[in-house]
Amino acid sequence: MKKSLGAVAVAAVMALSLSACGGGSSSSAESAKGEINYWLWDANQLPAYQQCADDFAKANPDISVKITQRGWDDYWSTLTNGFVGGTAPDVFTNHLGRYGELAENKQLLAIDDAVKKDNIDLTQYNEGLADLWVGQDGKRYGLPKDWDTIGLFYNEAMLASGGVTEEQMKNLTWNPQDGGTYEQVIAHLSVDKNGKRGDEAGFDKNNVAVYGLGLNGGGDSSGQTEWSYLTNTTGWSHTDKNPWGTHYNYDDPKFQESMDWFAGLVEKGYMPKLETTVGASMADTFAAGKSAINAHGSWMTGQYTGYQGIDVGIAPTPVGPEGKRASMFNGLADSIWAGTKKKDASIKWVEYLASADCQDVVASKAVVFPALKASSDKAAAAFAAKNVDVSAFTEHVKNKSTFLYPITDNTAKVKGIMEPAMDAVVSGKVPASSLTQANEQVNALFK
Amino acid sequence: MTSTTSRAPQQAPARRRRPFNTRRAGAWALLVLAIAVSVLPFLWVLRTALSTNSALAANSASLLPADFTFGAFMRVFGLQSPADAIAEGGSGATIDFWLYLKNSIIFSSITTAGAVFFSAMAAYAFARLRWRGRNAVFSLFLGTMLVPPIFTALPNFLLIKNLDLLNTMLGMVLPYVFMTPFAIFFLRQFFLNMSREVEEAAMLDGAKHLRIFFQIVLPNAAAPIATLALLTFIGQWNEYFWPLLVGSQDDVRVLQVGLGVFKSQAPQGSPDWSGLMAATLVSALPVLILFAAFGKKIVNSIGFSGIK
Repeated sequence: MKKSLGAVAVAAVMALSLSACGGGSSSSAESAKGEINYWLWDANQLPAYQQCADDFAKANPDISVKITQRGWDDYWSTLTNGFVGGTAPDVFTNHLGRYGELAENKQLLAIDDAVKKDNIDLTQYNEGLADLWVGQDGKRYGLPKDWDTIGLFYNEAMLASGGVTEEQMKNLTWNPQDGGTYEQVIAHLSVDKNGKRGDEAGFDKNNVAVYGLGLNGGGDSSGQTEWSYLTNTTGWSHTDKNPWGTHYNYDDPKFQESMDWFAGLVEKGYMPKLETTVGASMADTFAAGKSAINAHGSWMTGQYTGYQGIDVGIAPTPVGPEGKRASMFNGLADSIWAGTKKKDASIKWVEYLASADCQDVVASKAVVFPALKASSDKAAAAFAAKNVDVSAFTEHVKNKSTFLYPITDNTAKVKGIMEPAMDAVVSGKVPASSLTQANEQVNALFK
Repeated sequence: MTSTTSRAPQQAPARRRRPFNTRRAGAWALLVLAIAVSVLPFLWVLRTALSTNSALAANSASLLPADFTFGAFMRVFGLQSPADAIAEGGSGATIDFWLYLKNSIIFSSITTAGAVFFSAMAAYAFARLRWRGRNAVFSLFLGTMLVPPIFTALPNFLLIKNLDLLNTMLGMVLPYVFMTPFAIFFLRQFFLNMSREVEEAAMLDGAKHLRIFFQIVLPNAAAPIATLALLTFIGQWNEYFWPLLVGSQDDVRVLQVGLGVFKSQAPQGSPDWSGLMAATLVSALPVLILFAAFGKKIVNSIGFSGIK
């Protein structure tokens, strides 16, 4: 049973009104004014956040928010630059893969006092999201803004011509030995140049016209969209505990078996070769009719459903050997830069971004799922109004079949070790047992 | 139900053909091929720029624009709302095109003018003056050409930061405005070939170095200086990394950095291809215009005419 919408909304409004009139000391009231700089990377969300900024400025006439959008490719380099050069934004969109190191380098402002003072109810967010942003030192470095899970985007016309029903897609099963019905469907939807399907005799795996499953890349350390929705159904998890685990498990036989199966898809001609994915966009390849199914993140929904001339359906990821689905659960948050000169105004803005007022605006644009439970439902409704069924993504949250993005120290170094190691496995150069060695290197970082 | 199709007889060519020449035909074929190889990518860029993003992938093989629209160009000039852009499958990011264009022109002009002028002075000193250690210093200068720019990016960045010049036009032009080793080398070679007689005559008339430099050397070197200015300008126009580091704020952002908004916005997302292509075409226009205006000069001066 879920809490009724009304109760949550009331709680949110209460929290907001409290924060609005819960002024601090007189000195901080003075600093809660001026222009704050806010950065985000996803241009698709810019209209929503611009509206939040306008509403916020109306409610707080002393504060204005200047939003700068920087594409993902340049975002982190310019941000790091800003930390060094003293030109970083007061508030910015933060990512789980990065924040551990930013917190360690003392670039983030802990906001525990403000959260306590303004009585922000952390239970109103989807489960686990708020906990992600508590650092190793026990301090809070962000308030959740949105979340994403993984689903299977599929080409409806290709499924129809292959005789695969929507019902089948919704009930796929997978195991690392024979791939379950998931592999059967992928094989059936792979078509070679002569029109032979992947499960027919005489399928030419070296001249494939349509791959059953698209490939984004080797997946480096997290495999967020590539393989984690499979490997983590076997009971395997990336680290000994999450967040702030200190031991990675790439040497687990269960994981290595799953990865061998995954690399085998390439060998069988059901998935593109790794080298063909470099510099290409998996979504564009799908739209060009080169793959029938793409496992991808919910943040890509707008892009997939926006393609002309292609009808896209979204199915949940397959059920694994332990009888459950799995999806990485990643959430973004807004963090405050430690070097900000407008601390109080920044805190106000972060709290506003994490409130129902702003997250409902974000929900109405149907781009991503806001972190607040109530707003998530509104986002699903907004997607439905656009004729997009996003239950494949929300189901993971409802059925608690999510696992959190692995948060540890040294994420950049771990990625640096695992990227070539994973690429070597997925490209078929070495068996997955080679990951044991990479795992030793990774775990040596924590000694 | 019979329909006869009458074929017009082939007209014989009126004028007499030259006897077929295999070598000439081969040369022509090569020429046509070379033109095709260099022009086709431009046509492809144009075709992509006139397409709707969300239709591109499904029509990747057609030479004509996919779902023709001027939307991408509207995005470049900031005439399209983010919502419309997203609806076209484009980037919802907006760029302040005219501001970035102005910044690009200022940045490229200042650095070009400065670098060419100061390099000419240095080249004069290396070519026409005799002083102790001249050749050693010159070798050192040439040696700096071997240092990859990425090596100096960070120290330069810190220097500019400590001077408190981040996000200012001054901070952006400083590393380029005084000289570039290539420019000095290029002009020195030219000055070395200038005739001594004119210079000596000027000296007998009592002219000092400054006057010789401004009234004799510079006018005589107009062609190579124009060439160098053009090459420098184009190089500066396309400069990306340093302006990205130092001029990240809107009021000093140059066009090349501004184009970044058409790159991938979200992790694993696709770039706004049509917007990127449209913006690339528009940003290459000034350079093309410059080439059209000064192209002849370049060719003439690079093939040093040998007239002394």
